[in-house]
Amino acid sequence: MGKKLKSTMAPEKKIGSLIAVVLLVVLYVFLFLLDNAMPVNSTTTMLIPVLKKGAIYALVCVSMNLLNGFTGLFSLGQAGFMLIGAYAFAIFSIPAAQHNSVYQYFEGGAIQFSIPEALSNALGQNAGNFLGSIICIIIAGLVAAVFAALIGIPVLRLKSDYLAIATLGFAEIIRAIFQWNGLGKITNGSNLLRKYTNFHDIKIQVGGTIFQLDTIFPFLIATLSIMIIVLLVNSSYGRAFKSIRDDEVAAEAMGINLFKHKMLAFVISSFFAGVGGALLAMFQTTIQAAPFRSTMTYEILLIVVIGGIGSITGSCIGSFLYIACSEWWLRFLDSGSFLGMSVPFFRDGFRKVVFSVIIMIIVLFFSRGIMGDKELSFSGMLRKARKRKEAKAAKLAASTNGKEDGSHE
Amino acid sequence: MKKILALLLAGCMAFALCACGTPAEPAENTDGDNAEASGDTVVIGVFEPLSGDNGAGGKQEALGMQYANSVAPTVDIGGKTYNVKLEIVDNESSTDKAVSAANSLISKGASVVLGTYGSSVAIAASDTFAQAGVPAIGVTCTNPQITEGNDHYFRICFLDPFQGTVLANFAKENLNAEKVYCLGQLGNDYDQGLVNYFKQAAEELGMTCEVASFPENNSDFSSYLTSAKNFGADVIFAPTSISYAQLIVDQAVAQGVGVPLLAADTWDSNKILGAAQGKDIEIYVSTFYAEGGDPEFEKGFKEWIKADSNNLTNNGGDDIIAAVSVMGYDAYFTALEALKAAGSIDSKAVMAALPNVTHSGVSGDIAFGENGDAVRDTAFIKKANVNDNVWDFVTVQSVKK
Repeated sequence: MGKKLKSTMAPEKKIGSLIAVVLLVVLYVFLFLLDNAMPVNSTTTMLIPVLKKGAIYALVCVSMNLLNGFTGLFSLGQAGFMLIGAYAFAIFSIPAAQHNSVYQYFEGGAIQFSIPEALSNALGQNAGNFLGSIICIIIAGLVAAVFAALIGIPVLRLKSDYLAIATLGFAEIIRAIFQWNGLGKITNGSNLLRKYTNFHDIKIQVGGTIFQLDTIFPFLIATLSIMIIVLLVNSSYGRAFKSIRDDEVAAEAMGINLFKHKMLAFVISSFFAGVGGALLAMFQTTIQAAPFRSTMTYEILLIVVIGGIGSITGSCIGSFLYIACSEWWLRFLDSGSFLGMSVPFFRDGFRKVVFSVIIMIIVLFFSRGIMGDKELSFSGMLRKARKRKEAKAAKLAASTNGKEDGSHE
Repeated sequence: MKKILALLLAGCMAFALCACGTPAEPAENTDGDNAEASGDTVVIGVFEPLSGDNGAGGKQEALGMQYANSVAPTVDIGGKTYNVKLEIVDNESSTDKAVSAANSLISKGASVVLGTYGSSVAIAASDTFAQAGVPAIGVTCTNPQITEGNDHYFRICFLDPFQGTVLANFAKENLNAEKVYCLGQLGNDYDQGLVNYFKQAAEELGMTCEVASFPENNSDFSSYLTSAKNFGADVIFAPTSISYAQLIVDQAVAQGVGVPLLAADTWDSNKILGAAQGKDIEIYVSTFYAEGGDPEFEKGFKEWIKADSNNLTNNGGDDIIAAVSVMGYDAYFTALEALKAAGSIDSKAVMAALPNVTHSGVSGDIAFGENGDAVRDTAFIKKANVNDNVWDFVTVQSVKK
């Protein structure tokens, strides 16, 4: 029976992944057109930032899901690691000529070089910016991971609520340290970091024409990172994470080193949070520690819950929906009029009321989120369709058999 | 059944929330909406914080623009009369919401953008406006970085280095201060920048300063006020945002610090007057406009505020004119002048026309100098009158070279 199932499953899996690849290619072609060929109108000017931010949040949410959903560690330090990543990215990519104006209160800052600029000088502007920002993004992830490893040693010995409190406190402390004037030469204290490489600088030259990669770039990094996380979750490490989530004692009895695996999940999750922070810095074109407060972590946690704890596709879908609603679709609620009519309710802040009601309804009635702990997979859909078909056929056969049996007796 | 009940409850709650947020009488339609009826409209984007830390100030600044729009709802551009439509977008006082808020203004076709209250958000949105080729006019954002190196960002107010120096001069000359205690919010670039410039100027003038920062959401200032007392401060300089300012005023009174409080343009608000009313405290602020400068404007503005409960709420519940409203009013007319000079509603033409635009506004003459900053060499100093709940004009202060 098992053998038979395996042999019939294989083509579905193939077709399913083929569909996924085709859709991904279509998405990327669309993004490429959006960056280079689409006319600028009112829809695209809103669509582009929403897509960019959605992709960034998808990555951050998946990284949080790796901890909260797959390893069962309730950590609330995501904003802190994003902050570290964002600052690491910005600090290493501010061009030397801009240092005096950016670090205006701190005599031009302490770090006087920029990786994208150095590479631009060696490889040309476009290649330099592209490679330089990728290197800076990796540095951002690594710095966040190092902080995670340091903080993980004491913190990961705590469980559930205590872990949440400790990580939340860590994120707040990090924010205060980055705002401290004593480190101003590196972090610029309370002031913004700006003028570093952003998405608009990411271009590629093919032949004589220059193509913009504004929107593709965050998607590319996010897709790659999420794919790595998916591979991890499906590996033996991933199975170990899930067993820790389900029952720590049983996992330990099975020979899983609890601390090592928790540390691994924590560090990897923080690495990708740092990468997400770097992308967010590129998206915003300026970075300041102030917005990385605990509300940002709650926002991310909310998306994870809406998407479904333990579902990667759920987190992705959730983040695009959440960002589109909060930044775009619900803005008309603040505008004072709707479809040309004046509506007295629709004024500043009403958007937030409606948004919170929607979230309340989701949490009340869809407490398992959009996807639960399932994944959106095309092979799964095909399998389901086939099973339904088979069941129908079996039922039909059973009923005809029944009739035949009946006739016999 | 349970689900339906819960849904009903949620609906009721939503309705209750709406009811709380809306005044009893139906709010007036914003004046811009009337323009939709006829064909030609030009959109002026209003990029202001209507919520968050700077919500109170942002609303007052937007009120000035809305009033200006009600005074001059049309503009003649290139021999054609256009209706002016104000598109107001809330940037939530937050740099991480700035990009999408700026994009939503661009998507609504803004020819020129006014705002924002709060310098960091202005800097955060700057690149978005630059990429779209939309010019922006800063109204009361005082950080030098906003216009520095940017061709598209202009500004009609003075800058922090100027304001810090003016206040230091005032502390020295009028308050005879020797020691100043400076208090700013950690993580707020406005506070920290201004404290920095004040300290520089004060030390040049021979005063000594002690600088302290309080964390975000702090509500107990007693330890800071005590250390100010121990330092022997003659003046406390606290250029914080309004929400903290109210707490500082209250606690300074309660502790009887007995020295004047000195602050910058953010404190020029009726909320501060409300906090100080009837109490034994001296508060001095530097600002863009002193009440009484243009009686005609003031009369009209007050009538307009009182006519609509919605506006009254946004102004903080009374009809005292905040300097930011005056600046918002002037910014609107500066934008109209720019549109006229451009002869087109194309944002790039407006940007090209802006450097040479001049306007005689309520707050003084506006012309753009180096970097697109307004040429301004004086600030008004006002003192809170705790008995009558108004600001008393003290002096016009300029920088002594």
